[in-house]
Amino acid sequence: MTRMKSLLVLGFIAAYLSALTFGTVAHALKVGLCGNTLSYYVVWDMFCGWSAWDARTHLIAEGASGQYYEVREPWGEFHPFGHLARIHYDNTNDLLPRHIQNVLRHTAHEPIDRVFTIEEVWPKQYNLPPGLYDEHFGRPNDKLSYYHLRAVFRDDGTLMSIYPDWHAKQKLQAVYDNPRLRRQSANATSLFSTLYNPSEARAGSNLNTSMGAGLSTN
Amino acid sequence: MNPSLAENPPRTALGRFFFAQETPFGMALLRIFLPLTAGIPMALRFPHVRELYTTDGSPVQLFEMYRQGAVLPVPSPAVAVPLYGIMLLCMLSSIVGFRTRTSLCVAIVLYSYFNVLDGIGTLTKYSVIASHLMLLLAVSHAGSVWSVDAFLKKRSGAVNVLPPRFSVWPARLVQLMFAFIYFGASITKIQTADFFSGDQMRYWMLSNWNYANPIGEAVAMSSPLLLISAYLAVIWEVLFGVLVWRPRGRAVMLGAGAFFHFMTWLTLGLYVFPAVCLSGYFAFMSEEDIVRLRRISLFRPLKTVLRLPALAVSRVANSFPQTVPASVTWTCLIAAAAIGATEAELQMDLYQNHSQSGLLSLKPMDREVALMMLRDKKTVREHDKFFNFEIGTSTIGYQLSNRRSEFSVGETMIAQCNLNPPHEDMWVECLLLDDEERTVEQFGQFVPRENLRANFFYTIGSRLVTGRYCMVLKSANQEICRRHFSLNGKSSDAAFDVSTN
Repeated sequence: MTRMKSLLVLGFIAAYLSALTFGTVAHALKVGLCGNTLSYYVVWDMFCGWSAWDARTHLIAEGASGQYYEVREPWGEFHPFGHLARIHYDNTNDLLPRHIQNVLRHTAHEPIDRVFTIEEVWPKQYNLPPGLYDEHFGRPNDKLSYYHLRAVFRDDGTLMSIYPDWHAKQKLQAVYDNPRLRRQSANATSLFSTLYNPSEARAGSNLNTSMGAGLSTN
Repeated sequence: MNPSLAENPPRTALGRFFFAQETPFGMALLRIFLPLTAGIPMALRFPHVRELYTTDGSPVQLFEMYRQGAVLPVPSPAVAVPLYGIMLLCMLSSIVGFRTRTSLCVAIVLYSYFNVLDGIGTLTKYSVIASHLMLLLAVSHAGSVWSVDAFLKKRSGAVNVLPPRFSVWPARLVQLMFAFIYFGASITKIQTADFFSGDQMRYWMLSNWNYANPIGEAVAMSSPLLLISAYLAVIWEVLFGVLVWRPRGRAVMLGAGAFFHFMTWLTLGLYVFPAVCLSGYFAFMSEEDIVRLRRISLFRPLKTVLRLPALAVSRVANSFPQTVPASVTWTCLIAAAAIGATEAELQMDLYQNHSQSGLLSLKPMDREVALMMLRDKKTVREHDKFFNFEIGTSTIGYQLSNRRSEFSVGETMIAQCNLNPPHEDMWVECLLLDDEERTVEQFGQFVPRENLRANFFYTIGSRLVTGRYCMVLKSANQEICRRHFSLNGKSSDAAFDVSTN
C-alpha cells in the first residue's frame, strides 16, 4: 500500500468511526441533534414510542357547488411500507399541502373552495382479529372512530387554518379540566393592549400593544 | 495480497484487526444480497417515481422535515426517471459484480439522493443502514470474487489460481457499524418511557403501519412475553459490540441477532429491515468460515447449484468479444437503462395525462359522510379510555401475568385495568358482584393522567361463599368491563380485605 493510500484509508476509518461515535453520544446525551438533518444517518432511534391510538388522515375537498370530494390519488395510492398510503406516514404534516396540490393539479374537478384535513383515530385494541378480541375482551368489538379537524387548506395547498392534533387536544382538555387552572387563566394578566413594546417605544409610539410584530398569541 | 503488507504484516492487535489480509468472501456475499434486499423496494417504487421524487409530484425532502428548507435540487421527471433507471441498473450490476466499484459508487449516490428527496415514503432507517453498507461495499474489494469482474480478470489471465486477499478493514467497519446501531438502539429503548413495561411494544404490535403481523397481535396480548423480550433485546443490543469479536460470542450474538430480526418480521410485519440487516451479517463471515462451510457435507450438493450463476455469467460474458472493454459495455448498459426507464415511465403514464379520456376525476364523497367527519364533536367514550381489564393473582413488571377465572379462599386477587393514553385524571371503581348481581364489595381509586394502569388487590376471605362472582370495572359511573370467576374451597375466618395500588 502506498503511503498516500494508507493515509486515505486511515482517514476514512477515523472519519467513519467518528461519525458513528458522534451519533451515538449525541443521541445518548441529547445534544447537537436538533436541526441537524444528517444526524438522521448516524442516530439509531428505530424505536421512538408508539401511540395507543391508531390514526389515519383524510382529505376532503369542498367544491364551489357544495359537493365534497375525497382528495385521493385516482391513479392509485402508493403504499410505502405496508398497505397504508404515503399520506398516513406524514407525521410532520409537511406532505399535506403538496399532496393536495399534486392531486388537484392532476385531476379533473370543479373549482375547489377549501380542503379539510381530518384526523381519524381509534383505540388500537380494536385492530385485533375477532377471535383474539373475543378471547381477551369478552365484549363486542364496537370500534368507533373519532374525527378531528386538523387543518384547512386552499386548493393550491396554502394553509388557511390549523388546529392542535387530536392527542394534543386531549391533553390540553385534561389539563384545562381543572377549575383552579381555569380561574387562574381567567384572572391572569391580559394579553390584549397591555404589553410594553420597546421597539415601538423607541420609534416614538405611545400606544404599545401586543398586536403586530410583537408577541402573538396565535 | 498487497506486497508491502505481505512482507510487513501489522504488529499491533489494532493493526491486525483492521489490516489482516483475507479474501473478502463475506463482503462478496453482502454485495450480492444487499442490493437485492434494498433494491426490490426501490424497484417497486418505479411506477411512482414522478410522484415521489420530481417537480411533477409531491416530494418532501428530509431537510424540509428538519426545517432546513429544500437543500437538494428537485429534478424534473425527464431527469429523475433516467437517473432512477441507472440506480436500479447499478444495483443489479453490483449483484453480479460487473464494474462493481463504479456501480456501487453510482448506486450509493443515487440511492441516498432519492431517499432524502422523499423523506416521507422512501427514507427510513433500513435505507440509512443500506446506504452505510453500500458506502462500505464501494470502498471494499467485494467485486474481487464471485463476480463478473473476477471472471473477466481470470479470462484475461491477470490473476493467480488462489483468490486475491485484501485488508479486512471494510468488513470491520461494517461489523463496527452494527455494534453502534445496536448500542444506539438500546439507548433509544432505555430512554423510551414504558418500554420496559411492554406497553410500547404492545401498541406497536397492534399497529397496522407495516405489513400484516398476525403473530404480533397474539404476542401483544401476552404481557410477560413482552416484558421478558424487552429486557432480552436490550441486553443483547448492549452485549453485541462486546462479544461479537470473540469466536463463541460471535455465533451467539449473530444467532440472537438473526432470531431478533426474524421476530421483528413475525411480530411487527417488517420485511425489508430484517432483510437488509441480515444481509449485513455476511460481513461477519471470515475466509475460514467459507472454507469450513465448503467442507460441510450438507453444502456439497449445493456446490452444483451455486455453480449455475457462474456458468451463466461466463456464458454471457463470453458472448462479448474480449476486445470490447468492460467499461464500454457498462456505459452502454447505463445508457440503455436510462432510455428504457424513460420509455417505460412514459408508457405507464401515471397521471393519465396522455389518455384519450383526459384527466382522471376526483371521487365525489357522500355528503352525509363528509359532514359527519367535519362536524364530529364526539367526546371519547368511557370504555375507549381503557385498553383492557383482567383478573389474576400475579404480576411481572407491574403487568398482570396470569389471567384466571377460578380462585380459592385465601388467595389475593389482582384486578388490573390498563388505560389508553392520553386520558384525563379519573376515578375508577371496582365492584364485586355475586351471581344475582348484588354488590358484595366496592372500592375506587384516582388514576392520574400519567398512569397507564390501576390495580385492585382483593384478599378473598370469609365473607364470600363458594360460587360464581364477577368483578366489574366502572368509570364515570359507567360499566366498562366485567370479569366472571368462580370461587372454590371452604370459607375461612379471614376478613375480605380490599386494597388498591
